[in-house]
Amino acid sequence: MPFVRRYKDLNTDLDGLYGDIKKELQQDKDLTVVSENVGMINDVPFKTITAVRATLPRAITGTLREVNVTIAGQPDDWLLEMHTGAWFGNMILPGAGGFLVAGPFGAAATVGGTVIFAAEYGRKLKNRVKELVKKNSGKAYSESKIETFVT
Amino acid sequence: MMPFVRRYKGLNTVLDALYKDVVKELQNEKELNIGKELKGDINGVPFMSVTANRVSIPKLITGTLREVTVTITGESSDYLVEMHTGEWFSNLAMPYMGAAILVGPLAGLAAAGTTGLMAANYGRKLKNRIKELVKQHSKEKYSDEKVETFV
Repeated sequence: MPFVRRYKDLNTDLDGLYGDIKKELQQDKDLTVVSENVGMINDVPFKTITAVRATLPRAITGTLREVNVTIAGQPDDWLLEMHTGAWFGNMILPGAGGFLVAGPFGAAATVGGTVIFAAEYGRKLKNRVKELVKKNSGKAYSESKIETFVT
Repeated sequence: MMPFVRRYKGLNTVLDALYKDVVKELQNEKELNIGKELKGDINGVPFMSVTANRVSIPKLITGTLREVTVTITGESSDYLVEMHTGEWFSNLAMPYMGAAILVGPLAGLAAAGTTGLMAANYGRKLKNRIKELVKQHSKEKYSDEKVETFV
């Protein structure tokens, strides 16, 4: 699910942060950056980047399909959104009965630990983004300056 | 919008043709650009996936269409279609999350009209179009009992 954070009073170099996040995505050999939009919306700076899986996965269900990171706002009041998409993500939810997918789709179900799972990648990137926010901020980072929105 | 997955059985569908028509559908939307296509077999199961991204900065952000992925996997008489439509800051558009939290420099980011290409509208439109395309490319009669939906 998308993860949105609002950061206030950090005096963050948003261009520097965006550049570092882009590098992070580029360094993952299983991802390709396919889209970047940088500009202004109603005078609010806006930057967004999308990377998608570069190769066929070995397993499908829950595997990382795409990542999108968006930064919008000013150095002392800005939002960061991170979305990690997974193929057939709703089929791994217990309530949806992941193992309904049988027969020819047996192989499409999650079969091993060697694939990049969206949830795992999302956790890793979230932690990395936190480090990058600290690195690119001119003021001390504290939890009281952050508000998180999840659905 | 949550990913939408449908399993189709007993329709004898020409999946290559269905996939091509879905790609055409995405190409026909002037605000979208095909970013990536993946085609091949995963453990002997045919797999086709296309991702299209928004080409320009939207006039407003919250709820606006950011990317679309359609994936088809399986055999002619037993296959899955997954459709994902991503949107920016969707969780801020939900009433209970209080979209009005976005004030001050970020006010311009809140949903301010209906002129944008909204993810929810686009998703509904594409879902209906895919249903028509499935019928068009199936040799057996389409009926609701041949279709199972996972949301």
